[in-house]
Amino acid sequence: MDALNQLFHGFGVALSPQNLAFVFLGVLMGTIIGMLPGLGPISAISLMIPVAFTMDPTSAIIMLAGVYYGAIFGGSTSSILLNAPGVAGTVATSFDGYPLARKGQAGKALSVAAIASFVGGTVGVVGLMLVAPSLSALTVSFGPAEYFALMVLGLTAVVTLSGNNLTKGLISGTVGVMIALVGIDSQTSTLRFTFGRHELYEGVEFLIVALGVFALAEVFVMLLRRGQGGGDGTITSLRLSRRELKEISGPTGRGSVLGFFTGVLPGAGATVASFLSYSFEKRLAKDGKTFGKGNIKGVAAPESANNGAAVGSFVPLLTLGVPGSGTTAVLLGALLVLGVQPGPLLLDEQPDMFWGVVASMYIGNIVLLILNLPLIPLFAKVLRTPQALLLPLVVVFCVVGVYGHSFSTFDLWLLIGFGVLGFLMRANGFPAAPLILGLILGGLMEKSMRQALLISSGDLTTFVTKPISATLLALAALSLLAPLYGAWRRTRRRQGLSEDDGRGQDERRKATAGGTRERKNG
Amino acid sequence: MFRTGRRGSRAAFAAVAVGSVSLLLAACGEGAGAASGGWQPTKPIEYIAPANTGGGWDTLARSSARVMDEADLVSRPMRVVNKPGAGGAIGWSYVAKHQKDPHKLFVTSPPILLVPLAGESDQTYRDFTPVARLNTEPLAYVVKANSPFKTFEDLAAKLKTDPGKVSVAGGSGPGSLDHVGLAGAVQAAGADASKVKYVPFDGGGEALTSLLGGHTDVAVAGGSEVQALVRSGDVRALAVSSEKRSPVLPDTPTLTESGIDYVFDIWRGVMAPKGLTGEQVAYYEKAFRKMVEQDAWKKESRKLGWTDAFLGSEEFGKFLDEQNKEYTGILTEVGLRK
Amino acid sequence: MHHFRFSQRTVAAVLGVLAVAYTVQAYRIPEFAAVQVPVQPGTLPRGLGLLLIVLCLALFLQKPAPKTTDTSETTDTAPAATTERTEHAATTATTTATTATTATTATTATTGATTATPPTLGRLADARLELAVLLGAIVLYVLLFEPLGFIPATALFVTGTAWYLGFGRHWVNALVGVGVAAGLYLGMSEGLDVALPTGVLPF
Repeated sequence: MDALNQLFHGFGVALSPQNLAFVFLGVLMGTIIGMLPGLGPISAISLMIPVAFTMDPTSAIIMLAGVYYGAIFGGSTSSILLNAPGVAGTVATSFDGYPLARKGQAGKALSVAAIASFVGGTVGVVGLMLVAPSLSALTVSFGPAEYFALMVLGLTAVVTLSGNNLTKGLISGTVGVMIALVGIDSQTSTLRFTFGRHELYEGVEFLIVALGVFALAEVFVMLLRRGQGGGDGTITSLRLSRRELKEISGPTGRGSVLGFFTGVLPGAGATVASFLSYSFEKRLAKDGKTFGKGNIKGVAAPESANNGAAVGSFVPLLTLGVPGSGTTAVLLGALLVLGVQPGPLLLDEQPDMFWGVVASMYIGNIVLLILNLPLIPLFAKVLRTPQALLLPLVVVFCVVGVYGHSFSTFDLWLLIGFGVLGFLMRANGFPAAPLILGLILGGLMEKSMRQALLISSGDLTTFVTKPISATLLALAALSLLAPLYGAWRRTRRRQGLSEDDGRGQDERRKATAGGTRERKNG
Repeated sequence: MFRTGRRGSRAAFAAVAVGSVSLLLAACGEGAGAASGGWQPTKPIEYIAPANTGGGWDTLARSSARVMDEADLVSRPMRVVNKPGAGGAIGWSYVAKHQKDPHKLFVTSPPILLVPLAGESDQTYRDFTPVARLNTEPLAYVVKANSPFKTFEDLAAKLKTDPGKVSVAGGSGPGSLDHVGLAGAVQAAGADASKVKYVPFDGGGEALTSLLGGHTDVAVAGGSEVQALVRSGDVRALAVSSEKRSPVLPDTPTLTESGIDYVFDIWRGVMAPKGLTGEQVAYYEKAFRKMVEQDAWKKESRKLGWTDAFLGSEEFGKFLDEQNKEYTGILTEVGLRK
Repeated sequence: MHHFRFSQRTVAAVLGVLAVAYTVQAYRIPEFAAVQVPVQPGTLPRGLGLLLIVLCLALFLQKPAPKTTDTSETTDTAPAATTERTEHAATTATTTATTATTATTATTATTGATTATPPTLGRLADARLELAVLLGAIVLYVLLFEPLGFIPATALFVTGTAWYLGFGRHWVNALVGVGVAAGLYLGMSEGLDVALPTGVLPF
């Protein structure tokens, strides 16, 4: 009960009018910064740090928590509205969020995202509060072998994300991993595929690829579509019907829990969580076929997962003092300067700080919801911009996002290159999602595989003799074989009948074509 | 190869250039400092952090810029610009393109020596003017609380007899900071550094997590990074690499105390483009000298685990020469020198 | 999109050639001998290269999906047949029926550029050229990004492209172009300390 008392005390502090104002300010700033592609939570927080340092520590942390939540939500907004995921954690959100927006249901998609984020965040905070100390055991139980297995499990989602043509999906995924390997090899400092360009030494930034193959490619497609067949600017109500709420409750709940526990693992938290949650729900849902064409469940699952994971990543930060993600690394720096030393002793030595953070996260989360729900119609109005004007503006946003990240025009050329690649992929039915998945997970997979083998002196059995790793690999094998078997049976049944490939709106439009074809065949 | 040849000649030229700057400095002596009417910046100073926002270099750049602006130590604002990439090489090659430009500075640390030694940069530290060293932080060699290694000698003994059985986690790639700090100590203890199983992770946090989970046996990380875990008793610090005991880990012996003659500091400092005049260098040197005396700076340093270790331009230059010689030796022995 | 849709065999062959080139490169990654490592830096790239070759072979031999109609046509014409361009539709082997309707509306489309929200984008009949124009504009934008500075380059790009694509309200256009450029610049450079190139402007 002591904890509860302290939590109440924490709330008492966080709820002072002054601090509430800071939460509002933080969430608002975070949302705005987060909406700009390329500026995710990391930049949002590090940019707000100078402001935070002028305030008293508690208010500062409260404000930063608001910025954090706001930025995560802001990232989803650009994913949904412009197909421009600025942070890896929101890529999966665009899979269904953008098709929904194109159908004129941007308001609904954003509401689902806000609600799912809220639930994910809240589940995460409750988890953080109740089980954080014991969870540090889970955090450290993941060594290189376990990470390798987790990445392999994540990569099996390529199959789910491949659409109908598995070969094309696998090619996309392979190319994604190939892109991930460009740069100085972290294990041996060997240069790989850098072609003498210093800009490539640290690899190809995820953001460039994501903005290229999603947002820029979409600009090209919009042009070829001559402004037709898109959201005509009508924004249907953001209210969700009772049925819809019921529909997303399952994916949101599962996504939140899955996200929180994945987030506890330092390294790949939010991204892996959102992809796993998305592909899991796609398989689970009866209408899994409509995933990628604008299914609200496909927004709820990754959104709840990435927010759950965002909170989960506080577990290693607060209980071990080690940052679990880039964002928490920045936060760690801020906390240190504010005089908070996160670590195993935080809860004993500075309990008010710990509970202050927890309470401010609750509040940040709630403020996010009440601030953003009314703002959604405003955000969704973006789509009412005439396409002739919207097109160049999206390009500018991509360019600013990439340039603001690396300050290098070389990266802008890469952006254009990936835009063209993404467009050609779309035109020829290669799905983009596996490429991104391969890019995000491929590098981590290779790194942890080699670390594990280095530790085991080259002994491959290390992956199957460790229980967690063995379990995850078994799951991976299972999730790989089940759909393959299904696909094999399907192809046997109706040989030669092609269905949708590609992703998003292509799929949706082709689905209608597929329907007519099926009728013809039948 | 062509590249090394080019660098060789350039390095020679650069050495001359640095030499003449120091001469000039010596000639001006205290005169420049006393006569405040000397050179002054005429526009905002571009202060390059050769890394992304949030990293160590970024923190250094932003906190020092803030303290300097607040205390009005420079007559024009310091604008922090991030130029991340290639372990810092992108950032400093940008600065190298602006020779003689007195409105560009960049923050730096051992990678300015290590990255070129690994053959991953077109410039070396000799292509820049040292302005000031600001602070240092020791590396800490830590094990889990229940580890059989009680002292660094225990670890060294094991590494001599059976290096294949011990895995050491570090936060950066082979040939970089953590690895060199480890290899130097191991070498000094009489073991073969190239036989040590060094497992590179992304940052000290990941390395420490793997240590805590028992996946690796030893970890090398910055003193401030392990501070909390040492105090809580989760890990034991075998030694720190600094010359004297670190205020961050006051109970941990230094390597020299453990009988190993090796000192390694993560130093941080500021450099400028090549070809600045003595007056210009003196202006910045004086500003940074005043900056480290500010209370605001001292407060932040303490919180971030930095030990003040100011060196002026000339001493910093000499220090860099020494460090470079030492790193070259270590990397050559481990076989990572390119 | 159909202009850019190539036969599956062509795609597989081109990809296959690239895959072979990648694999050759992968085999040229030097072995790492300084410290003993169980997995070489070249191991995974080699594996991936070979995998990609196999996948390209599979794609090459795979029976292509029955060529129904091209994706963008089938659906785009359904709700919006009236705005299809003449050539655009004519080149598609599928729709003879829509050609008639498109021919009549082609003229309205061109005049549509002057109305507030034109129903179509661009000026050229051939989609390939249109794409090339946009790509060229983006390339020009990137080329001018640093030398000209963020504000002028962005304002020019936005206003020029929107005008070309048929955004009719020129004043609004110019205001948005300059406003977005200046707003983003101020927000990023001043507010967030992210320095965008200043270029020719004095601040």
